[in-house]
Amino acid sequence: MSQVEQFYYDNAIVKKFAYATTLWGVVGMLVGLLAAFQLFLPEANFGIAETTFGRIRPLHTNAVIFAFVGNGIFTGVYYSLQRLLKSRMYSDFLSAFHFWGWQAIIVAAAITLPLGYTSSHEYAELEWPIDIAIALVWVVFGINMFGTILKRREQHLYVAIWFYIATWVTVTVLHLGNNLEVPVDLWKSYPVFSGVQDALVQWWYGHNAVAFFLTTPYLGLMYYFIPKAANRPVYSYRLSIIHFWALIFIYIWAGPHHLLYTSLPDWAQSLGMVFSIMLIAPSWGGMLNGLLTLRGAWDRVRTDPVLKFMVVAVTAYGMSTLEGPILSIKSVNAISHYTDWTVAHVHIGTLGWNGFLTFGMLYWLFPKMFNTKLYSTRLADAHFWIGTMGILFYAIPLYWAGWTQSLMWQEFLPEGILKYSNFLETVTQILPMYALRAVGGSIYLIGVFVMIYNLAKTVKSGQFVANEAAEAPAKTTWTSHKDTYWHRWIERRPVQLLVASLIAVLIGGLVEIFPMVLVDENVPRIESVKPYTPLELQGRDLYIREGCVGCHSQMIRPFRSETERYGEYSKSGEFIYDRPFLWGSKRTGPDLHRVGGKYPDSWHYNHMDDPTSTSPGSIMPPYPWLLTDDLDTTSTVAKINVLRKLGTPYEAGYETIANDDLQYQANQIAKRLKGDGIEQEGLERKEIIAIIAYLQRLGTDIRPKAEILK
Amino acid sequence: MTSKYYKYTLSLIPLLFLTFNLLANESETVAKTSEAGILDWAMHNIIALLVAAVIVMAIGTLFYFNNMLLQLQKIRLLQEHGIEVIEEVKLMSKEPWWKGFYKKLTNAVPIEKEEEVMTDHSYDGIRELDNVLPPWWVAMFYGCIVYAVFYFGYYHVFDYGLSSREEYEVAMKDAEVAIKAHLASQTDLVDETNVEMLADETEIAIGQSIFQTQCTPCHGQVGEGNSIGPNLTDEYWLHGGDIKDVFRTIKYGVPEKGMISWKAQLRASDMQRVASYILSLQGTNPPNAKAPQGDRWEATMQKDSSATIGMNQQ
Repeated sequence: MSQVEQFYYDNAIVKKFAYATTLWGVVGMLVGLLAAFQLFLPEANFGIAETTFGRIRPLHTNAVIFAFVGNGIFTGVYYSLQRLLKSRMYSDFLSAFHFWGWQAIIVAAAITLPLGYTSSHEYAELEWPIDIAIALVWVVFGINMFGTILKRREQHLYVAIWFYIATWVTVTVLHLGNNLEVPVDLWKSYPVFSGVQDALVQWWYGHNAVAFFLTTPYLGLMYYFIPKAANRPVYSYRLSIIHFWALIFIYIWAGPHHLLYTSLPDWAQSLGMVFSIMLIAPSWGGMLNGLLTLRGAWDRVRTDPVLKFMVVAVTAYGMSTLEGPILSIKSVNAISHYTDWTVAHVHIGTLGWNGFLTFGMLYWLFPKMFNTKLYSTRLADAHFWIGTMGILFYAIPLYWAGWTQSLMWQEFLPEGILKYSNFLETVTQILPMYALRAVGGSIYLIGVFVMIYNLAKTVKSGQFVANEAAEAPAKTTWTSHKDTYWHRWIERRPVQLLVASLIAVLIGGLVEIFPMVLVDENVPRIESVKPYTPLELQGRDLYIREGCVGCHSQMIRPFRSETERYGEYSKSGEFIYDRPFLWGSKRTGPDLHRVGGKYPDSWHYNHMDDPTSTSPGSIMPPYPWLLTDDLDTTSTVAKINVLRKLGTPYEAGYETIANDDLQYQANQIAKRLKGDGIEQEGLERKEIIAIIAYLQRLGTDIRPKAEILK
Repeated sequence: MTSKYYKYTLSLIPLLFLTFNLLANESETVAKTSEAGILDWAMHNIIALLVAAVIVMAIGTLFYFNNMLLQLQKIRLLQEHGIEVIEEVKLMSKEPWWKGFYKKLTNAVPIEKEEEVMTDHSYDGIRELDNVLPPWWVAMFYGCIVYAVFYFGYYHVFDYGLSSREEYEVAMKDAEVAIKAHLASQTDLVDETNVEMLADETEIAIGQSIFQTQCTPCHGQVGEGNSIGPNLTDEYWLHGGDIKDVFRTIKYGVPEKGMISWKAQLRASDMQRVASYILSLQGTNPPNAKAPQGDRWEATMQKDSSATIGMNQQ
C-alpha cells in the first residue's frame, strides 16, 4: 500500500561536529584549567595582557559553552533530527556552511577575547561583528533544521524536536535582544540600554543562555539518546508535554534571580525568585522522564558505560535544577551570591549534565557511525570514574570555599567592627580550596583524554559510514488523523509549534523588561549623578578591556556587612550612564563601587604595577602594560557621539573639546603622582592615568563633596 | 531491582527539602535578628531533630519487625499444635504501608503491564508510554505555584513583608542597639580624647603586627614611608605627632591626602596599639627613609624613650 522511499542519512556532518566537540572541549577545559591555576598562582598570568585572568575567564566560558557544548548540540541534533524525521538534512551545503561558520566564529572569539575586545555582557562578550556572524550562522542552522522538518517523512514531531525548535527560536530572540548595541568602531560598541535596564536584559539573556543553550537542546538529546541506548520506551508522553511547555514558559522569567538584593526594583527580584521556585517541577519532569525511561534497564546501567554517563548526567541535571531555585531564594542568595558557591553550582551543571551527556552520546555515536564496537568498555568505565571523581574534587572544595568566604564576609566583632575587615584575609583563607579545585579540573580533563584515545582507537578499527542508507514510507502516505490526544494536533504542525514556543518565551521577558524601560519610577533619578568625563570614560573602557568585572563587583547590597565594608549601598539611579553595566557576579576581589577617593592615586599606580606591593598576598595579576602603554584618545570623539545618541547628555559639540578636557584631567592626576615621587616619562599620556581617573570617580556622585574632601 | 534505587533516592527528597527550608528560614531570621521564632530554634537544634527523627523511625521499624516475628512465632506454635492456619497467607503477602504509600506517590504502571499504556508512537524505533504524571511531582508543582503566589502577594500585593531597604534599616538599628549594649558593658573605652601611649612591650608587639599587615603598603616595612605615605619615624608630622593626633589620624583618616579611615576595620584598642607602635619608631632612622613632610613636632623632642612621650601627655 505504502510507497517506500530510499534515502541516505548524512553522517559526515555529524562526524565533523563530533570531532569539533572533542577538540573544543579539550581547548575550553585547558583554558579553564589555566584560569583555575591563576586563582591561586598569580604567576600563571605570565605578566602578559592576553593571558591575564580577566581575559582568560570569558575565553573559558565562551569556549566551553559555545564551542564544546555548542558543537555537542549540533552533533546530537544533526544525528537525531535526520532519524526522527526519516529524512536527510535539508541541504548539505547549509550543513557545511553551518559547521565552518560556527568554527570560524569560535576562532574569532579565541582571538578577540584575549585581545580585550569584549562587550562585557557575560556569555555574550563577543563584539558586534561577531554577533552579526553568530546571527547569520544561527539562521542558517534554523533554515537547515526547518527545511528538514518540512520535508520530513514522519508525520508527527517527537518531543526531542519540540526542544530543538524552542531552543532555536529562543536563542534567536535572546541573542538579538542582548546585543542591541551601537558600534563606535570595528571592535567597540555601546549597548542601547544602560545601568539597571542593561543588567536586567543581560540576565534575562544570561540565565536563558543556560536555559536554552545548556538545557533545552540537551533535554532534546536526552530524549533521543537515552531511549535509544537503553532500548526502552519513554516513560510518560504526557509528562513530556507538560514539562516541555511549563519549562520554556517559566524559564524566561527567572533571569532576575541573578540580581537579588541589587538595585533592581524589589518586584522584579521577587518575580525572578518565585518563577525560579516554580521551575523545580518542570525541570524535574525532564529528569524523571529520563531516569524512569531506564526502568527495566537498570541492570544494564551496571555494565554499559553509555548508560552510566547518562544516568549521572541526568542526576546532575536534577541536582543543579533543584539547587538553582534554592539559590534563588533571596535569603539563600544573600549568602551564596558573589561567592564560589555559584561557580560550584554551574560546574555541577556543565561538567555533570552537559559534559557527561556529551561523553555518553559520543561513546554511543562513534561505534554506530564507524560500524564497529567501542574499542574498550573498560577504558570508558575508567573515564566514567575519573570524570566523576573530577566533578567531586572540583565541586566540594568550591562549595566549602564559598560558604567559608561568605561567612567571613559577614562576621562582626561585638564592637560592631568586621572581624575580617581586610578582604584579602577572606581570599587567602580559601586558596587551598582553589588549588584543590584545579586538581579536580585536571582529573576531569584526564578523563577526556582517556575518551579521546578510546574513540580514536574505535575510529581506527571501523569503517566510516558517511551516508547511511535508510528507507521510509513517502510523505504521501500521511492520513488525516482523529487525534487520540489533543497535543497530537500541534505535533503535526511545526510552524504552529514554533509560533507557540515563541509566544511562550516572549511573555516573561516582556512583562519584566518593558516596565523597567518604560516606567521612570523604576529607576529613580539622582540629581548629582553626572556623565563620565572623557578620561573616566576611556578608563572605564580599559576596565572593560581588562575584564576587571570578572573579579570585582560594583554593586553594594543593602546588608550591614557590605555597607560597613564598602560604604553606602548602591542605588539604581547611580548607573544611568553605565554602558554597559559593570555590576559583576563574582567577588574574587572586593567590590569597587565606592572605591573612588578611598586610596590616593599613587596607591592605585603601585597596585596596578604590582598588586602585592600594596596588598601583600594578593592574587590579583599585575598590569604593568597600563603604566607603559599610551592611552588611545583617537576614539574619544566617536565614543562621545555614540553615547550622546544613546541619551547621555553631553552638550552638542562637546566632542570637539573632549580630548582637551581629557588631557587637562590627565595632567592633574600625573601632577599628583609626581607629587608623591612617581617620576615617569610621559606619565600623563599613559593608560594608567585613565584607569585611575575612573576608579577615583566610582561611587562618588552621591557622596556630598564635603565628605569626599573631609 | 528497578524501583529500589528510586525508593531510596526519593525518600531522601523530603528530608533535603526540610533541611534547605530550615537553612533558608534561618538566614531570614538572621536578617531580622530581633525575631527568634520556632524556625530559629529548629535550626539551632537541627542535629538533635534529625537524631530524634532517626530514633523515632528506628523504634517504628523495631515495632514492625517485632510484631511480624511475634506473628510468625504464633503461626509456628499453632502449626506445631496441629491447628490450621488461615491467617498465614494474608500475613506474609501483606505489603508494608510505605510500599503502598510509595505506589500512591508514583502511580506508575508496572513494567510487566506497560503495554497497557503504550502509545502507538514510534520515532526511529523510540516508543512512548503514557504513564500518568507522578502524583508527588504534580503535588510539588502545585505546591511551588501556591508558594509563588503567596510570596508575591505577601510582599508586593498586600505589602506585608519588608522590602530589601526596610530589611537593611531594621538590621542596622538592631546592630546599633547591640553595639551600644556591648560598649556599655565595657570599661576603659579608648577614644581620641583619652587615648594614652602604651609602654607594655607585648602591646607594642601587637601594634607592630597589625602595622605590618595593614600599614606597610603605604608607610614601608618599618615606617620609613614610600611613594604613597609619609615617613613615620622622623619628627615631622602632617597631622600632629601627639598620641591623640596619631590615634585620630588612624581612626578617621585624612581622605584628601589618601590616608584611609580605619575605624570600621580596627578596634579602638588595636588603633591605640598601632599608634603606640608608630610613636615607638621615633628616631629609629631606618634606611631609605622618605624626606620629612609637615611640621616638626615640638612635644616629641625627647626621643630617647617612648615611655616619656606617653608621660608627657599626662
